[in-house]
Amino acid sequence: MRAAFTSLRRLLLTSIAFVLAAVVLTYVVDPLQLFRASRSAFYSDDTRVQNAGLIRSQSFDTTFMGTSLAIHFRQSDIDRALGVRSLKLAMTGSNSRQQAFVLEQAIARGARRVIWAMDDFIFVDASDIETDPYLSVDLYRRTPKGIASYLFSASMAKESLFALLRSVPPLQRPLTRAAPYLPVKFALADVDDIYALPRDFDVAREYNAKKTRAAFAYITSPVRSRFLGEGYGYQAMVRNFEQDAVSLIARYPDVTFDIYFPPYSILQFVAMRDASPGTLKIVTDVTAVIAERLTQRPNVRLHDFRAIKAVTHDLDNYGDVIHHSPVVDGMVLKWLASGEYRVDPKAPLVSLDQLKAQVEAYRVED
Amino acid sequence: MLFNSYPFILLFLPIVLAGYFWLGRRSNLAPVIWLALASIAFYAIGSWQFVALLLLSIAFNYGVGHFLIAAKLTPPQRKAALALGVAGDLLVLGIFKYAGFATENVNALLGTHFAVHILLPVGISFYTFTQIAFLVDAYRGQVAAYALPHYALFVTYFPHLIAGPILHHKDMIPQFEREETKRPDGHLILCGVIIFAIGLFKKTCLADGIQPLVALAFEARSPSFDQAWCGALAYTFQLYFDFSGYSDMAIGISLMFGIFLPVNFNSPYKATGIIEFWRRWHMTLSQFLRDYLYIPLGGNRHGRVLRYVNLLITMLLGGLWHGAAWTFVVWGALHGAYLCVNHAFNALVPNVPALLARPVQIAGAVLTFLAVVVAWVFFRAESVTWALRVLHAMADPSNIVFGREEIAALVMIAVYAALVWLAPNTQAIMGYDHGNRRVGEALRAGRRRPLFLYGASLVLALGILGIQSHSEFIYFRF
Repeated sequence: MRAAFTSLRRLLLTSIAFVLAAVVLTYVVDPLQLFRASRSAFYSDDTRVQNAGLIRSQSFDTTFMGTSLAIHFRQSDIDRALGVRSLKLAMTGSNSRQQAFVLEQAIARGARRVIWAMDDFIFVDASDIETDPYLSVDLYRRTPKGIASYLFSASMAKESLFALLRSVPPLQRPLTRAAPYLPVKFALADVDDIYALPRDFDVAREYNAKKTRAAFAYITSPVRSRFLGEGYGYQAMVRNFEQDAVSLIARYPDVTFDIYFPPYSILQFVAMRDASPGTLKIVTDVTAVIAERLTQRPNVRLHDFRAIKAVTHDLDNYGDVIHHSPVVDGMVLKWLASGEYRVDPKAPLVSLDQLKAQVEAYRVED
Repeated sequence: MLFNSYPFILLFLPIVLAGYFWLGRRSNLAPVIWLALASIAFYAIGSWQFVALLLLSIAFNYGVGHFLIAAKLTPPQRKAALALGVAGDLLVLGIFKYAGFATENVNALLGTHFAVHILLPVGISFYTFTQIAFLVDAYRGQVAAYALPHYALFVTYFPHLIAGPILHHKDMIPQFEREETKRPDGHLILCGVIIFAIGLFKKTCLADGIQPLVALAFEARSPSFDQAWCGALAYTFQLYFDFSGYSDMAIGISLMFGIFLPVNFNSPYKATGIIEFWRRWHMTLSQFLRDYLYIPLGGNRHGRVLRYVNLLITMLLGGLWHGAAWTFVVWGALHGAYLCVNHAFNALVPNVPALLARPVQIAGAVLTFLAVVVAWVFFRAESVTWALRVLHAMADPSNIVFGREEIAALVMIAVYAALVWLAPNTQAIMGYDHGNRRVGEALRAGRRRPLFLYGASLVLALGILGIQSHSEFIYFRF
């Protein structure tokens, strides 16, 4: 009996020792670069976690925010097109509360310019950031709770161990090459590659009119069309816009905000027109408010790319009704640099009216 | 409250253990009451609004059961009492679990717009089934009169309350009555901690680790061939490690209190036929369905055709027990059909030549696994249409992505497959023998190397480090 209790004590103490060893390993390797920047670091596509480390470890003067529509941009392309030193913080499926929170962290670390791909749907559902299960504010703020969740983590210990193995010279090259194909998160050697499409990516295969039309048929199918406007509400969306975007912009008058409405395919709006006209009205009404409010702010330049017919009507530019190809990414940067589609503060609704006319006139091909 | 949470591991469990053994030095009844109260507290943390329902259910079933055991009733009166008890249980289960489903179907059929919004009480399927078994056995005269605290503990016993294993009163209550269980047994506590550690590791590192891959099939609008397979296989392994991890944790925790729980999993994916699969997967549910549904329906006593009908009915209801949705009905129907095919095959080919035994066994294992994976697609999908879309993708090899993400997913799935098929299961590692109330004899006799203990320490450490802020068990929703 005594031997059993001795074994039990030994088991528990050894477990504690293993836990502490894992904590030390993660702290020393610091895969997220939360404590110190590292030139040999690797990066992860898990942007909600990765951004917490990027904000602390990278040097930048401009930050780039958005949802999945902005996720494939390359920082190097942004830098080249706009003459800045950028940090891409776009997060797939993110809402306005998450975006505003992450942006504020980046501004606090030195961003003087924000480029913000502002989708209307980010304002649909923005829950309390303090209790958001998908984005740990404690990790970004480096509170004791956030640091503990980072250090006391089997997943981070695994990543640290892999990073350690990868730093051993004979293993460096094979493990670095194999990492993207292994179940490890920190697999990207270059920060520029986070969520970026490979240079040899087959654009035509993933972005073409056939896929766009199929997506249109899918979302407008009678069994699914009710989801088109799910959660959309004018009052709540305007409230979220005010709370997340306007108040952030007002709090940082010395930061320049280049905000743009992304160039969705015309079918996004046509789908709403045909299957959920109420949703289309909410979207146009909300973006009218956004345009009117933002153009009044001295530190905001608003760009509206939604009515650029040559792009939005060419369905080969899209993988579904909203996600545009990397070719359009390049155009967006060009337009941002030239200010060609900047909304005139004196006539903030001109481009929106153009869009409305286009949507009304568009006829879907069978 | 979740087993895989810091408050449970660092606070709740040590306090309940300490109180149990402290009271055990003074009385044989007090620890039972303490454990029952602790179990109700465990349930109340997170599900406080359903505590009254749980207590009412216990009172109702104990009352009916006591009536059947103690009162002098004529056979028709006994039958009426049983019918009242079972109907009461099924009525409550029906209201809380199936009212919404029934309303949806009525609306779909009649074009009406009735709305029913009832929250599903956690664990209701489990505690209803254990109590129905108690009533049926009381009716059959197979139950001794139990004291209320012991009965209440049998139903609420926190290691099993929320997601099983489904306990049998004849197995549990005598253990609660034994004085020896109230004295701390170092060996049982040690074995319990190790089994708990294995379960925790299965849940927090393995099940939660592979969970993101499931989205490849079940959250994509049009998954490719490889994505659909990766997602379906990922769910197959996630569900196994999640549920068997929970069962291991339940067994481990219970062992710390000196109570042996029945084994619920026995390497099910190693099964060479679907009949064998159901002897290895969620074993306590299979036993329940066999003893209280399949056999009362007639079992195999009325010819082959009726046997298959009974099998189908049993599995359909088994599917529906898991959830009020057509996906579960299809899942149950598929397994019913699989079982019929397996029984028919056994009847047609009673003896396989020795030369072919091994290849047939391998083919059987592969076929069984594939059949189970196909059925899990329905089990996991949001709707039957969605499941069919995933299955369609799994059958269309012309659409393959095989990019970086898919290759990484495949590597991970290969690791999990190796664990499932090559590693020994928990009871084999620990020598857990529920029937003979024995565990870890090799450890007790000193035949295990110190390395085993260090390995267990590492597993416990990884299990604890794997705890995420909130990761529920899949079977909590049944």
